[in-house]
Amino acid sequence: MKTKKLTLFFLLIIGALILSACTGQPLISNFPGLTADAERAYLSTGSFVYAVDVTNGDELWRYPEDPDSELLYYANPVLTEDGQLLIGSVGTNHAFVSLDPATGNEKWSEPFSSAQGMWIASPLVFNETIYAPNSDGYLYILDMNGEQIADPILLGGALWSAPVTDGTYIYINSLDHYLHILNPSNGRLADPIDLGGAAPSSVTIGNEGVYVGSFASDVKFITPNGRSEVIASASDWIWGTPTFDSETLYYADLSGNVFSLDLTNNRQNWDSLQPDGPVTASLLVVGNQIYVTTEAGSFIALDRDGKIVWEKTPGGKIYTTPVLANDLILVAPYQAEFALAAYDADGKQAWTFTPDN
Amino acid sequence: MWELIIVQPLTNLLLWIYDVLGTGPHMFGLAIILFTVLIKLLTWPLNASQVKGAQAMQELQNDKDWQAIQKKYAKDREKLAQEQMRIYREKGINPFASCLPTLIQFPIIIGLYQAIIRALSATPLDMLNLARTVYPSQNVENIIPLNSTFLWMDLGRPESIQILGFGLPTLAIIVAATTWLQTKLTMPATSNPNDQTAQMTRMMSIYMPLMLGWFSLTFASGISVYFIISNILGIVQYAATGRANWRNLLPGANKQTSPAKK
Repeated sequence: MKTKKLTLFFLLIIGALILSACTGQPLISNFPGLTADAERAYLSTGSFVYAVDVTNGDELWRYPEDPDSELLYYANPVLTEDGQLLIGSVGTNHAFVSLDPATGNEKWSEPFSSAQGMWIASPLVFNETIYAPNSDGYLYILDMNGEQIADPILLGGALWSAPVTDGTYIYINSLDHYLHILNPSNGRLADPIDLGGAAPSSVTIGNEGVYVGSFASDVKFITPNGRSEVIASASDWIWGTPTFDSETLYYADLSGNVFSLDLTNNRQNWDSLQPDGPVTASLLVVGNQIYVTTEAGSFIALDRDGKIVWEKTPGGKIYTTPVLANDLILVAPYQAEFALAAYDADGKQAWTFTPDN
Repeated sequence: MWELIIVQPLTNLLLWIYDVLGTGPHMFGLAIILFTVLIKLLTWPLNASQVKGAQAMQELQNDKDWQAIQKKYAKDREKLAQEQMRIYREKGINPFASCLPTLIQFPIIIGLYQAIIRALSATPLDMLNLARTVYPSQNVENIIPLNSTFLWMDLGRPESIQILGFGLPTLAIIVAATTWLQTKLTMPATSNPNDQTAQMTRMMSIYMPLMLGWFSLTFASGISVYFIISNILGIVQYAATGRANWRNLLPGANKQTSPAKK
């Protein structure tokens, strides 16, 4: 009978292990965050934030030096005018840190033990104040030394997108289907504006108002006084922030449609442009080219008429919005051979970056 | 394949129930409870056959032919197995009937865990996976994101209640307790001290609560809600069929010798 007891015990252990293996995907996983200045690209992916030399793709530093299972970074790091690089953790430890962009040394760290959620969204720095939205639905307000200087503001819903300012108001999209408008001079919130669906990305500042895409599969134009108008539609959820460029608004949806809206008459500039799969990243406009990245792993340059100028496949899936660093376009694929790649305007790959283990 | 036949249907079913219930706080927890009831109703015939199978196996332990071949072929395992199969055939017993419902539970538990995590979408990547999972007929724009609050819990995370700075995993304790209760109540009484089935069941009554309690400690609390409701419904089912062995809850009940109620 002893053998049977042992057999049963081991069978249960094996069962537990199988169940754990089948369900035991990492609890938190996401695609990388990316930002850049003229010298460095800052890539947040998993346990580290990397600084990469934009001239050659060399790693300059990583933060932290050793991985901590409680700390994970996926938000776009934010550079401030006074020389800080801000990012919060998506891990079970909700620490929010300020780094020296040149060295990666920690300037300050706010443990944020009160925050119940993750820092999926990037913060906004406006008038020497940090507005940090958390997925617990609160907007936390800090000074430039990381001290909370006001009570957090409960907006409701998970906050996944960076706040945006037009110089007077702060606009915060929420997954609760509402756009929240904060007057930072007095801390007052306007009545929230119903978007008809969750909004996982930020608004775009336009002339006399903002543009918002959402899971309601449309684009709304919203004025600071709360007037809302649907100006265009899509055939699926709109994930990325629409890109405002003079009199044109570029946006895409999860069915893979890429749109160019003429804002003078709210008419589409081209018909049915559908590269190769869902588009979650915002479109990047540089000069006369519009850069599109797709979940299928394509990196495409379009001209203003919607014609494909060139197309590259860096590999993996691309969810992160590409960024411009000097004359290079940086692309951060997810689950690819490399973590970052740089291309020039002709589509020539300048370098790739793969972190050393 | 797993995605197509398990995760996708379970996720859509959960979302559909949530949509029907309304999208307020606590509704996702209620959706999990209703989902569990539905699964229990669907597997009711299987559970009934499990009870019947366990009962038949139990009775077999006291069968004279069975006991005779155990003695006769004690040293010839191959012959013993052949004779056992013969008796199974003669008496119309399927020795695996009592295992099948348990085996079916495993993919449901794994699938439900994945469905809960996906439906609650803690990160943008999870949300993208959810977007691919929902059937075109589902109009989920209005219900996403789901409200993961249920009573004091966040159904997407392991649960604990802070007491004097210590996180007490109440749900894991309730899961372990209800699992133990269910196993005890379904444990048949036996007059045979060498009854292997009863001994195995006794071992199960120790290991299963520990294992499910550990799962509850580790995984999203939504899965713990499933375990608890599933256990309670299991107890109700046994009680409704008159097979719950309440005497097993008494101290020293394992030593009692009265036959199981038929």
